[in-house]
Amino acid sequence: MTGAGPGGPAAPFDRAAVRRHRDRAAARVDQVADLLGELAERLLDRLDDTTQRFTAALDLGGRGVVAPLLAARGIGCVSCDLSAPMVARNPRPVVVADEEFLPFAPGSFDLVVASLSLHWINDLPGTLIQLRHALRPGGLLLASLPALGTLGGLRMALTRAEVAVSGGAAPRVAPFPDLSDCAALLQRAGYALPVADVEDVGFSYANPMTLVAELRAAGETNALAERDRRIPPRGLFAAGFADAAGADGRVSVRLRLAVLTGWAPG
Amino acid sequence: MSETTADPAVPPIVPLDPRLLEILVCPLTKGPLEYDRAAGELISRKAGLAYPVRDGIPIMLADEARKLEE
Repeated sequence: MTGAGPGGPAAPFDRAAVRRHRDRAAARVDQVADLLGELAERLLDRLDDTTQRFTAALDLGGRGVVAPLLAARGIGCVSCDLSAPMVARNPRPVVVADEEFLPFAPGSFDLVVASLSLHWINDLPGTLIQLRHALRPGGLLLASLPALGTLGGLRMALTRAEVAVSGGAAPRVAPFPDLSDCAALLQRAGYALPVADVEDVGFSYANPMTLVAELRAAGETNALAERDRRIPPRGLFAAGFADAAGADGRVSVRLRLAVLTGWAPG
Repeated sequence: MSETTADPAVPPIVPLDPRLLEILVCPLTKGPLEYDRAAGELISRKAGLAYPVRDGIPIMLADEARKLEE
């Protein structure tokens, strides 16, 4: 399914790499389960804004964290992931599927929850349309993804350091959509009452390699098709992190969490 | 020793969750699937593919599916 997806030859993400990263992360994701759970909880809090009751949810890429939170709210769900080891972390029923080629019949769900799981997809409009079809009329799509500005300072610091070390720079942080793109995407994909807003979440690291380890444990290793596959230049991360560090030596990074809601037209 | 029909080399087939049978379609054609319980496969005639069910988990990926003969 790689390379020849609907994203075409210029597809930004290497989907085989995304799958490999999630396969590997399945054994490590417990290290970041608390963090992922907190971010998922923030997303699911949006359910309290509606009086609608949900009974049949699709958990897309929830990494074993979202399904229990849905169950705690009395919402039954099917979990889906590109990676078999990752999806096996969820309570059954679970399905391995490619988010770009979803295997669900029209009207299968009344809620879709995608907590930080849409940002390695090449054809995001296509996925959003397929999810709308999988929803019943009046069903809700609830998604979060990193928006533009996420890891922004780090991206610049790494680029500066790499230029200094090797005279060029490879993309080491994925491009993220901005908020107006997100709302426009929902609208174009046919959702009613599309809303995108942003929550800023700050993290501070005494040892920024902890950040790298956490991203890896979450399956968030660089999967850009144009990524530099060589071992990074010696000292790159040290130099980049030193550049990004504040006066106290700690590195602060920002997650701009875009929260998307849209309803399947009734 | 008591007789057993279980072959240790062949793991028992874990059946597909019936809830999934109601909602799964072929990811390529969005057409219907036939569940071959004995073979542990979900068959899409339209796509000419049989998607494996491993340990009760349907693997709905075209590059993991078996191409049907004919």
